Amino acid sequence: MNLFSLKEAAKQALSQTEVNFVIGYTKGSYGFRVAPFFAQNEAEVEKLFFSPLCDLSLVNYLSLEKNTPLEKFGKSPEQKIGIFVRGCDSRAINQILSEKGIIREELIIIGIPCHGVIDIKKLEARFPGVLDQARAEEEDGKYTICFGDKSFAIKKEDILSDKCKHCAYPTPLIYDLLIDGKVEGKDDRYEDIKPQEEATLGEKEEFWKNEFSRCIRCYACRNACPLCYCENCILERLSPQWVKRSVNPTENVIYHLSRAFHLAGRCAGCGECERVCPVNLPLMLLNRKLEKDVKSLFNFTPGIDSEQKQFLTTYDLKDSEEFIL
Amino acid sequence: MSHFEPTIIAFLCNWCSYAGADLSGTSRYKYPANIKALRVMCSGRVNPLMIVQAFRAGADGVVISGCHPGDCHYSQGNYFTRRRFILFRKFLEFLGIDPERVVLSWVSASEGKRFADLMEELTDKIRNLGPLKNFTPLETEARGEINDS
Amino acid sequence: MRIGVYICHCGINIKATVDVAQLSTFAEKLPYVKVARDYLYMCSDPGQNLIKKDIEEFKLDRVVVVACSPRMHELTFRKVLESAGLNRYLFEMANIREQCSWVHQDKKSATKKAHSLLAASVHKVALLEPLTEKEVSVTPTVLVIGGGIAGIQAALDIADAGYKVYLVEKDPTIGGHMIQLDKTFPTLDCSACILTPKMSEVGNHPNIEIISYAEVADVKGYVGNFEITVRKKTRYIDETKCNACGLCVSYCPIETPNPYNLNLSKMKSIYIPYAQAVPACYVIDPESCRYLLKKECRQCEQVCQGLKAIDFKQKEQAITIQVGAIIVATGFDTFDPKGKPEFGYALYPNVITGLEFERLVNSSGPTMGEIVIQGKKPKDVVFIQCVGSRDKTVGNEYCSRVCCMYTAKQAHLVKEKIPHANLTIFYMDVRAFGKGFEEFYNRVKMEGVKYRRGNPSEIYKKGDKLIVKAEDTLLGELVEVEADLVVLAVGLVPSKSTEEVIKLLKLSRSPDQFLLEAHPKLRPVDTASDGIFLAGCCQGPKDIPDTVAQASGAASKALILISHEKVKTEAQTSIVNESLCRGCGFCVAVCPYGAIEPKMIEKAGEVTKVASVNDALCKGCGMCVPTCFSGAIQQKSFTDNQLLSMLSVLGEKNVSF
Repeated sequence: MNLFSLKEAAKQALSQTEVNFVIGYTKGSYGFRVAPFFAQNEAEVEKLFFSPLCDLSLVNYLSLEKNTPLEKFGKSPEQKIGIFVRGCDSRAINQILSEKGIIREELIIIGIPCHGVIDIKKLEARFPGVLDQARAEEEDGKYTICFGDKSFAIKKEDILSDKCKHCAYPTPLIYDLLIDGKVEGKDDRYEDIKPQEEATLGEKEEFWKNEFSRCIRCYACRNACPLCYCENCILERLSPQWVKRSVNPTENVIYHLSRAFHLAGRCAGCGECERVCPVNLPLMLLNRKLEKDVKSLFNFTPGIDSEQKQFLTTYDLKDSEEFIL
Repeated sequence: MSHFEPTIIAFLCNWCSYAGADLSGTSRYKYPANIKALRVMCSGRVNPLMIVQAFRAGADGVVISGCHPGDCHYSQGNYFTRRRFILFRKFLEFLGIDPERVVLSWVSASEGKRFADLMEELTDKIRNLGPLKNFTPLETEARGEINDS
Repeated sequence: MRIGVYICHCGINIKATVDVAQLSTFAEKLPYVKVARDYLYMCSDPGQNLIKKDIEEFKLDRVVVVACSPRMHELTFRKVLESAGLNRYLFEMANIREQCSWVHQDKKSATKKAHSLLAASVHKVALLEPLTEKEVSVTPTVLVIGGGIAGIQAALDIADAGYKVYLVEKDPTIGGHMIQLDKTFPTLDCSACILTPKMSEVGNHPNIEIISYAEVADVKGYVGNFEITVRKKTRYIDETKCNACGLCVSYCPIETPNPYNLNLSKMKSIYIPYAQAVPACYVIDPESCRYLLKKECRQCEQVCQGLKAIDFKQKEQAITIQVGAIIVATGFDTFDPKGKPEFGYALYPNVITGLEFERLVNSSGPTMGEIVIQGKKPKDVVFIQCVGSRDKTVGNEYCSRVCCMYTAKQAHLVKEKIPHANLTIFYMDVRAFGKGFEEFYNRVKMEGVKYRRGNPSEIYKKGDKLIVKAEDTLLGELVEVEADLVVLAVGLVPSKSTEEVIKLLKLSRSPDQFLLEAHPKLRPVDTASDGIFLAGCCQGPKDIPDTVAQASGAASKALILISHEKVKTEAQTSIVNESLCRGCGFCVAVCPYGAIEPKMIEKAGEVTKVASVNDALCKGCGMCVPTCFSGAIQQKSFTDNQLLSMLSVLGEKNVSF
């Protein structure tokens, strides 16, 4: 990862008068943590970086832009935002663009071809209690993790995020500037959901009952998801009330089922929902299942093109008639 | 132990399926009283998430019935229903809800007997599957209380 | 909230199976129900008066009738509410007859279900809102798109009824394909002879305005109020001045292929499509005229000194017209046999289409009616049927309906002009279904025309003859027939202008790609869009009598619409809650009527896009509602709230009855 090109790209974006800030990553306050950062000038650009530790998505801020916390940066009708974007992020942006949720002209997209990010939970499990700011580098299928005066070599697949293991679009599909060379995507056969698909109905029921009984309905998954940007989420509304407020297995299932279905044909596979869940619910299983079915039944992949038609607002005369009486 | 009788909610489109169901009645065909119909103007009006709402309300099975493809009174509603339903059914199965409990059928206004036969078959099938256990109905609102307004 | 519930016995139809008295007691206990009654026949006059009286006495504001199907009597009871001063949409009907007492045998379970259906209706009616239909005024004029026989007939019928018609035709003259035909089956009427009087009538009719050499460019509006923009191409000749004397033709130095003779002959650059053209006005072809291409010549202008009809400065015009109804009569094109390369259409000049044959045999055609090919009269003529029809390999599975008969007619015409010719017709089936068709087919067979069952696989040249190779399936042997002339009975496909009109009017297509009618049996001239009707081959292949009948049908439908001053629109339409709408356009994409449009409004200090429903276009289907993630768009009388509240009751097992 050419950090110099990355910073130059950020500086180039900032040099445009309409750009007030570039949203990127900076080292977190301790350990393996990475934080989002809004660089407003060349000096602040120096704080930006990118490494395999950058596991979070920044796309949410584009939608949140409308809300107050960012207003302090000043807002004008011609305002543009610069943003660091990995492969999955670019698909989220494409999908939001195709839904007219943001305007292309308001973005300066700095594309980072991604070699995969580390699952911080797995890393912290290996090295609990690390407070020194850590670094991570990738080379030849190995990660080198450094903190304090120690250095460790770990096989990539041991701590790679699950979502990256089958990523078919690591290179951003939409960008204004691309840092580094493109990365080949993987052939995604949806092997990760196979065991779940092949379980019996009873096993499936049991599995989800156990999982959803842990859900505390904190709504972190919904808040972190870049594609959950409706100002009026139906999961919160009282009239009509699709999900009741009570936290019990029935309502929890309805919550997650409804949210996942609203993401059918829209989810970009960024995995933020699973990453932020405080009780480690396997939420990506739901999204992956829908993604697989949408692809195999309707030959549709979201987020490829910002002008794409939506999958749920189109139909094919030859759509499957399986199971229809 | 009392014998289990399933509750099946049927979303029927006004122009085809509801008319077909009416024809069942006019022709005096018989099917079980487990089927309760909810009239919509087009099967395309039905949000798949309503299936889950029906389950939570106590239904053991749900039917969505519309016009045959190509015959929709509004030209394309049933194509959307078809797309949404196929995906949703597979998704319900993934979550451990028996997909046999959710049925999409095409019934035209002239298919009175077929509607009755379908409802009979479906009731038998769901009776054999037993009561739906995935959703515990909330303590139902006291009988007669009107829901949100 | 004061609800009245009325349970009908329907004689014994309901009462014999459902305990109506128990229902009544149950209904009284439901919240907001002020009165609950059961009665013998709610739809009868006394029954209706019962409701009316109660509305007054108990100051009811909602009514539920628990009886037969709403498809039966919803309208009846809505009128009762209206006559009592209540909004007719504050009404709900529970079906406990067609869908309960008539289909269930067990009284206990039928009664229990009736309770559930009643409660669900009460829940829904409590959430209903008063609605009003809109009334829109109707412009009493009609646009007919297409000046072939279908358009001509429709225009004449409407004009004779006393209404104004705009007839827009893309060619410089009306007449369509019918004018290109020679004699028509089965009566052998001369096509032009029966058509030209009608064309003349159209040209002279005070109520018909022909806009020729023009195309519909834009359509805005809705039923009763369409605003049409017509793009009139330039003839470079003033229609009001030209008297069709034809002097200019002899002075024009340029020759160009004549499309009305299917390029089998030439015409001058300044031309009139044919002698009987309506309007009788010449046209200058911009693709070949020397002045328009190279700024030389202008002979025609000089010769037309007396009338000064030629005007090279003429520009394209955009004409705007207001109409109340539209009839689409854009007709057909013939299948291009280049799609069947085995027949050698592009290779051999003596392989021609059925339409080209019509021009050959027509006395006003390129060979003055003599069937002459490559300078000679053909001795052996082979006809091949079903070219481009009933053929999945070219994507046309349908039968084009007219080809069997026109081939028989063409064979007859050859026999008439060349009595000793050898004629063979290769066919798959012969469809002679209409009035006089079977008799005509038999006559043709008696004239010595050989019908051989089989689809030829190939045509190749041998010396100066063509050889048509086929399997005669009745004989079970391969045959190779010599031919001097091969006529391909090409099928009909939707015309190119039909494709354009589909985009403008947002029409749907049947699987065979022709325009889709509203109902295949009961509404063959309506489309799903109110105010737009179909006539002729644009809706499907058909012959002249069927076309004329359908055109009169479409005219009658259009007249029904425009003979009223106002038309009511649907009341149970969709409506957008602008504060919830995020302007994603999902609802816009699914609406089959284009009834939802983006609208810019100010929201929270910003100008933003939201969806907006045109009540005049919305038909109340509700398919937009599930597409909205925020629930911003709802269908009146079928809102999510209302349906969910019904679900909560219908699913309840624990409600004791």
